[in-house]
This record gives sequence, C-alpha cells and structure tokens, in this order.
Amino acid sequence: MSVLVVDDLRTSLQINGGEYHAVREISFSIEEGETLAVVGESGCGKSMLAMSIMRLLPSVASITAGRILLDSLPIEAVSETGMERVRGAKIGMVFQEPMTALNPVLTVGEQISEPLRDHLGLSRREARKAAIGLMEKVRIPSAASRYSSYPHEFSGGMRQRVVIALAIACHPRLLIADEPTTALDVTVQRQILDLLDVLRTEGKMGMLLITHNLGIVAGHADRVAVMYGGDLVESATVTDLFRNPAHPYSRALLASLPRVDRDLSELASIPGRVPTLVNMPDGCRFMDRCPHAMEKCNSMPPPADVGDANLHMVRCWLYVQGGEHAA
Amino acid sequence: MSAVVTPRHRVARLAPGRIAIVAGVAIMAVVIFAAVFAPIIAPHDPYAQSMLARFRPVSAEYWLGTDQFGRDTFSRILYGLQITLWTAFASTALAMVCGTAIGILSGYHGGRVDRWVSAANDLLMSFPQMVAGIIIVALLGPGITNLIIAIAITAFPAFYRMARSAALALRERDYIDACRVLGYSDIRIIVRHLLPETLDDIIIVATLWLATAVRTESSLAFIGLGAPPPAATLGGLVRDGFDNLLDYPGLAIWPSLAILIVMIGLNLVGDGLRDANDPRATA
Repeated sequence: MSVLVVDDLRTSLQINGGEYHAVREISFSIEEGETLAVVGESGCGKSMLAMSIMRLLPSVASITAGRILLDSLPIEAVSETGMERVRGAKIGMVFQEPMTALNPVLTVGEQISEPLRDHLGLSRREARKAAIGLMEKVRIPSAASRYSSYPHEFSGGMRQRVVIALAIACHPRLLIADEPTTALDVTVQRQILDLLDVLRTEGKMGMLLITHNLGIVAGHADRVAVMYGGDLVESATVTDLFRNPAHPYSRALLASLPRVDRDLSELASIPGRVPTLVNMPDGCRFMDRCPHAMEKCNSMPPPADVGDANLHMVRCWLYVQGGEHAA
Repeated sequence: MSAVVTPRHRVARLAPGRIAIVAGVAIMAVVIFAAVFAPIIAPHDPYAQSMLARFRPVSAEYWLGTDQFGRDTFSRILYGLQITLWTAFASTALAMVCGTAIGILSGYHGGRVDRWVSAANDLLMSFPQMVAGIIIVALLGPGITNLIIAIAITAFPAFYRMARSAALALRERDYIDACRVLGYSDIRIIVRHLLPETLDDIIIVATLWLATAVRTESSLAFIGLGAPPPAATLGGLVRDGFDNLLDYPGLAIWPSLAILIVMIGLNLVGDGLRDANDPRATA
C-alpha cells in the first residue's frame, strides 16, 4: 500500500506578479517500509517538494495543480487546522541542522513529551514514560536520566537522535528526512542512517530521504528520484540508476562522484549552474548544460511519462520515439 | 525581613552590580512593607484634621510635622505610598500583560496586521509620556482606576515593542519551524516556545517601568490629575505642600524624598536585573 502518492504536483512562486514553477509536474509514490531518495543540486526544488507535502509553504508559494495522497488521504482537502493534526502525527520530519532544531530553554524530555501530549492526548506522566521509551528507541544512553537535560548538553549526533524521536513520536506513516546527516560527522552519519533504517522497518513507515549525497543513496534507499530545476528528470531503483543512468543529468551526476576503485586525477564536473527560477528556459531546464542538447529541447519541455513510472522513468527527448539516438 | 549576615571580605568581593541590586531589593522591601502595613505603622489617622495641630514642626508625636489641616505628614506619606505603589504595580502589570500579548501576536503573525498595529503603537509613542497621560486622564475623568488605565496606556508601547521584536527574531528560529512541522497550533507555539524566552526581558522592562509609573503618577497628581482628595498620594502631598513652600518647606520636601527613595529602589533593582541578565557583561 502506498504511504504517499504524489501525482502531477506543481508548486509555484508568485514573485512581483510573475509566476515561477519551483516544482513542476512531479509524480511518484512511496510504499510502506520503502525509502525514496530525492537527489539534486541546491535549489532544484527538493525542500520545496517536502514543504508542499507538509503544506508549510512560504506565503509566496502555493500548490497550483496535482494531488498528494497521504495514506489515501488527499491532503489538499484537509483544512488548515486539520493539517495541524496531520503534521507531527502522520508525517514526521527530521531536519538538517540538529543544533538549532530544538528549543534551547526546554529540556529534551519536555520537548519529546510535547507531541505525545498534543497529538495523542497523553497525560503528563504517561507522556514522560513514553518519551523515555522513545529516547531508548533512538538509542540515547541512560535515557531516564537524560530526560531532564537541555539540548546544549547533547552532542550533535545525540541531538539528531532527539529530533528523530520527536519525528517518530506519534508513529507517523511518512518520515521526511531533509538532509538528516549533512551537519554531522561521517561516523555519526552512518549511525543515524542505520537508526533511521531500523525505525522505518519497525514502524512500517515510508521514508522520503532528501539528500545530495549519492553515497547515502546507494546505501540506504530503495528507489531514487533525481530532480533538476524543479523537474523530476529520472526515477528508478537504486541499482538500476547506478548501473544504467539514463538522463544526461543523472549520468553527469554519477560521473562527478569520486570512486575508490578508479584512479582519477581529476573529478568530472557539470559545466554551468542551475538556472535561477526567474531565468528558467521554456524547454528542457537542463538544456544549457547538456552535452546532448537538440533543437527540440529548446522549444518544448520533454514529456514526463517516458518509460514505466514505477520501474524506470526518464524525462528526456533522447528517449522519446523519434529522438535522434537512444544513447 | 531576615537580615543576611555576610562576612566583610565577601561584601568587598561582590561586584558593584550585585551591591546595587541587594540595596535596591532592601529599599523596596522596606518601602513595600511600609505601604502594606501603613494602617498598623501610621501613628495617626491620615485624614483626621485638627485645627489645634496645624503646621506642627517635627516632633516625637508628629515625626514629620503636620500640614495646614493638622494632619500627620508621616502617616499621610505611608498611606500615599500605598496608593502610589498600588497604582504603579497595577498599571505596569496591565501594560505588561496587554503589551506582551499584543506584541508577541503581532510580531509572530507579521505581515499587514503587524504593520498596522505597529503604526498605531508608533503614533501612541510619539506623544511625550506626560502629555499622553494628561490627555487620557482628561478623557477618562479622575479616579484611581482611570489613573491606572492612563498610566498603563503610556507604558504599553515599551512592552509592545519589546515583545514584538523578540517574537520577530524568534519566529525565524529553526526550532519554531520544527514546532510547525510537529503540528503545534500557533497558540501552543506562542505560549510554550516564544513567551518563556521573552519573559526575562519583559520582567526587566517591567521593573524599570515601575519607576516610570511612580514618576508619572506623581507628576499627574502634582498637576491635579491624580487620585481625588482627600486620598493621599505622594505626588498629591508634594502639590499640597507647595501651597506653603516658603513657610513650611518640609511639607513638600518629605513626600518628595519618599518619591526619590522609591525611584532609587526600583531603578537599582531594574538596572541590577538587567546587568545580571546581560550576556555581554563579564561576571
């Protein structure tokens, strides 16, 4: 059963009277217990996608088309106060920066108790007990005595565990992890990701893992969605994408990865930069940086439904019937 | 009040700020004690007139002399202290609650609402405090309740600005975003996560504004807009004393001294709290 279905989602920004598409015609689904990694450069719309699912967009942004089904519940039909009962309860979120995601003046235990009391209606005593249980679950040593510690007494990794405890407190169906380990040491990264894997399997949650670290994708995701400039350019299983990347952007991305098994004097890079929203080309958004750009790319964006949406989807004119060559 | 016995060498090592706050608290403790227990401490009825005892000098019976109606000045100062302090505390509390609530809501909400409320607040603030006080008392009419409301309105902008700027800064914090992601309502976020962090600053502003409230009350009473007679307030006593300033200067000087002591006490406490809470101050 799909925990999350996103169908033809478009999120636009209204800036100075102009309308700019931050997320364009994105479709994907996440099954129970599955991890979908969303990769892409900064500014490609990854976080905008997460905030669209949460319906916590800045005032200039709005969802202009598409459907989001969370556990079969169409979230566009939920009222604003209704969303307060969805966030934190059905969707949990882990942030990039554990150092600032916790309130410095409340104890860690009080903060973990709060969603339990707010969403599940537990009493103060029940919530305390449950919070200590959660702290044990995220492997915070001597949880009971750490209950009354403040965030500044915790290391970065421990704080991220607290943030995870907060996110899973109410047994959400979907866990969104927005670059959960970017701010952490490499050794701690591994521990946190392993912990997320365990919790996801145990809680039968679907996980949307936003990252730009392809190493994390390889080790911890089931499927990958590659985003570029607000478009979903390719989605496939992890093995499939790493073995046979189809979209020129995915190929360039993988080529820029340092590898232990090959001696490279220089890392490959992608020329140019992501166009800003205001300067997005009308056609394919990757065109300016693509080695395979054709006449067609300039005039029209490639259709999204090339290939099988569930197996291997790619959004590029190269793979459309009548394209010049299927590389 | 129990006296704290401190060894001499420790007093010497106390930072000047600490001595100030200890002195301030001591002064205020005495002043508040005197005000609260005025009916017990006062040697005479503050309203009892006696034609035989007019303009008595300082004596064992009349510690600070008597006024033109033969009323005991010391007793009147004690009762005046009571009304003045009550007015100051009540008005500051009122301004603190309203200003903080509206300021936090405005700053947290932001946008157009915030702009309009802030503009209204700026308008209120552009009046000199005394002028605003005079206008409001004139509009509302005399009486202690109206006086409290008037002083509260003049003190409102200080709390509004303080709370608003704190909320504006805090709402950008990641953990407030985290609260939204956890599905907390705005009310919960404000009460549980914004208010506790602003409270320190708000309380310091409140202590400093207490002194201002005492001054405003005294000034309004001095120009005849205070509590109506025969109620004694410190400002009213100074004003009454003015009628005979040249012959009997004590009648104006004693209540003035009382105001001075209260002001010094409140300022010492307020400044001390501010310094103690200042993260930039070296301990």
